[in-house]
Amino acid sequence: MSDEPREEGQGPDAYTRRVLEQGLSRRSFLGRAAGGAAAVGLFGMGASPALAAAVKEPKAEGFATSTDGGATLTFLPKPKPIRDREISETLTFDVVVVGAGASGVPAALSAAEHGAKVAVVQKAPFALSQGNTGSGIDLAASEKAGVEALVARLIADSNHRCDPKLIRQWAYHSGEAVRWVIDRAKQGGATVVDQGSPAQRAILKVNGYSMGYVTSFFGPKPYTTGDGMRALAKTAEKAGVKFFFQMPAVQLVQGRSGEVQGVIARGHDGKYRKFLAKKGVILATGDYQNNRAMSDYFIPDVKYLERKQMDRTGDGFALAYWAGGVFEPIGHTKMLHDFDAGPASMCDMPFLAVDRKGRRFVNETVEMSLLNNYLKDAENAGHYSQVFDADYMTQAATWPGKLVPPEGLKNYMPDEPGPKKGVFESQVNTHKAGTLEELARKLEVDPATLVATVRRYNEVVASGKDSDFGKPASFLAPILKAPFYGIHRRVRVSAICSGMLVDEHHQALNADGKPIKGLFLVGNLGGGFYGGVDYPLTVFGLSLGRCYTFGYLTGRHVARL
Amino acid sequence: MTILTPSRILGFGLAGLLAASLGAAPAAWTSKHAARGVTCVQCHGKSGKPTAVPFRQCQGCHDPADLAARTAQAKPTNPHLNRHYGTQTDCTRCHHEHKASENLCLPCHTRFTFKVP
Ligand SMILES: Cc1cc2nc3c(=O)[nH]c(=O)nc-3n(C[C@H](O)[C@H](O)[C@H](O)COP(=O)(O)OP(=O)(O)OC[C@H]3O[C@@H](n4cnc5c(N)ncnc54)[C@H](O)[C@@H]3O)c2cc1C
Repeated sequence: MSDEPREEGQGPDAYTRRVLEQGLSRRSFLGRAAGGAAAVGLFGMGASPALAAAVKEPKAEGFATSTDGGATLTFLPKPKPIRDREISETLTFDVVVVGAGASGVPAALSAAEHGAKVAVVQKAPFALSQGNTGSGIDLAASEKAGVEALVARLIADSNHRCDPKLIRQWAYHSGEAVRWVIDRAKQGGATVVDQGSPAQRAILKVNGYSMGYVTSFFGPKPYTTGDGMRALAKTAEKAGVKFFFQMPAVQLVQGRSGEVQGVIARGHDGKYRKFLAKKGVILATGDYQNNRAMSDYFIPDVKYLERKQMDRTGDGFALAYWAGGVFEPIGHTKMLHDFDAGPASMCDMPFLAVDRKGRRFVNETVEMSLLNNYLKDAENAGHYSQVFDADYMTQAATWPGKLVPPEGLKNYMPDEPGPKKGVFESQVNTHKAGTLEELARKLEVDPATLVATVRRYNEVVASGKDSDFGKPASFLAPILKAPFYGIHRRVRVSAICSGMLVDEHHQALNADGKPIKGLFLVGNLGGGFYGGVDYPLTVFGLSLGRCYTFGYLTGRHVARL
Repeated sequence: MTILTPSRILGFGLAGLLAASLGAAPAAWTSKHAARGVTCVQCHGKSGKPTAVPFRQCQGCHDPADLAARTAQAKPTNPHLNRHYGTQTDCTRCHHEHKASENLCLPCHTRFTFKVP
């Protein structure tokens, strides 16, 4: 099976056109900022990067503020280029990868396996990533019509705003890539298994067509893909990849015509080092959730929501933007989850849910992964609780998901003594209490409000019709019998999944839709793979699966240049 | 109810925090370091304009591995040896000299209630 043939000579596709028209590039910024054509002519594409950099970035006052008025376009002034005399050391490689995470480590190893001399510069003291599950399609076990049906489903999941060619590229290469990651990570000593198709129960048939999956699982918690990428990095080191830790990239090295020739990084010792890349630089720095201005501008929805990651300050976004790259238009896709406070298998079960005060706020058939949309104000900040009573094992027996019996729930209760298994101990937040008031205190909601909410809910249940929120009658179970249970979840930003414009080689495109020589973007920094309001959970582990796959393909591509 | 400040939400870097604290420094400059005879320039540099203290500067006197060993038994976890930075957590993410110290772990790990000196 192969990718869709590319349409040649027809100009950019619909996805690319939209990003070129509505996205944000340095050219559009300078154009908008200085009020028109004159500025574009002066500092725009024609000018050498050095000249553009020397020009003071205009102040953003009075234009282009974000919809909520809070964010402006001033967050990306291009810094003065670091001069050669400030560089303590210059090293030359074929490929330089920036960021040792879920896309960067695979990119580096893949490039090395295809003969390139590779360096990885990494901000943290070791490889860092997160999550457990990363998935691909087992083509041999899938009907072609099924693959295409899943592609169509994923495009719909992204509200038809993604780049179909990138979805297809994942679909037709992810099985191979995820298997390769499993194999190479094992060589580095990782604890990883292929959970295969059973991990993807809901999509074994898509539109009636049969499908099979490769589902890599680095775990159980607290073991994660971070540990997995550290193991993969060991394999990469054996393959000749040189890692430079505590070495954040701060600027790209560009030639006269804007081509990217390397990276300047700043070591722990405060000194700058230049890493020249004969074939290309692959940026894999992850998302920008910890960059407040960028977040407020591109995705104001998450303004009051807590973050799961640290130090993802969008460095790669800034680097690519300074080099002429284009941000996807405002309204980026977000991923907010809490699989940790209680059993993951119960997170979408339609128990009574209450907000941070104790009020019912939603038809509980809305999945956990979407609830952030109801809880994005400063007060709720992503917090809510699922509430049920002593009879939950029988009352909810036929609901979607998988119930964990009372004995098993103890593993998620901070108040239960004894060691926990397969969870992050500091994140479990499930509670049991003899009265609703006591439960409310443990869930940190207002006791009187919770009691009133439950009383009203029980009335609704008794009537057999959810006249408040319209939840199906089959999901109405009363909350009457002690002990009462509650799971206090807080959805936080796992990832922001929108990025910058790339082509099918993951090469960055400039505002003219032309590839920027020497610059490649993978992982959440790469655009085009999503587009909806929220990251879809259709394929469990799509995000990591996509990171591995595009890292693997891009490393190989750049090594062969 | 806890109100989330931007730095709590975003775990903002030290640059901003230090810039803020340095701005307010002279009035509030009591310092454990100063009390032990460490002078301003030893941390902030000689260049008239005091600069934020880089992690490597702290390490001139404090060995992170040593520190991690000394807090190995801390409950519920050893803050100086963690999954995010190993032993390499920048001291100034938690420990401040000219304003109250803070607990970097707490926003995410709500039960890691360390007292930060
Ligand atoms: C708690 C949690 C659980 C998750 N679970 C899952 C899951 O089960 N399945 C799934 O599919 N997805 C999951 N995700 C999402 C998934 O982890 C991310 O989408 C994925 O890791 C993104 O990969 P990446 O390569 O883009 O970035 P990352 O893996 O975050 O790697 C980026 C790397 O770049 C480095 N870096 C940053 N700036 C610089 C710089 N200037 N110079 C050098 N290096 C730099 C960082 O230190 C980091 O190591 C989860 C996310 C979280 C937070």
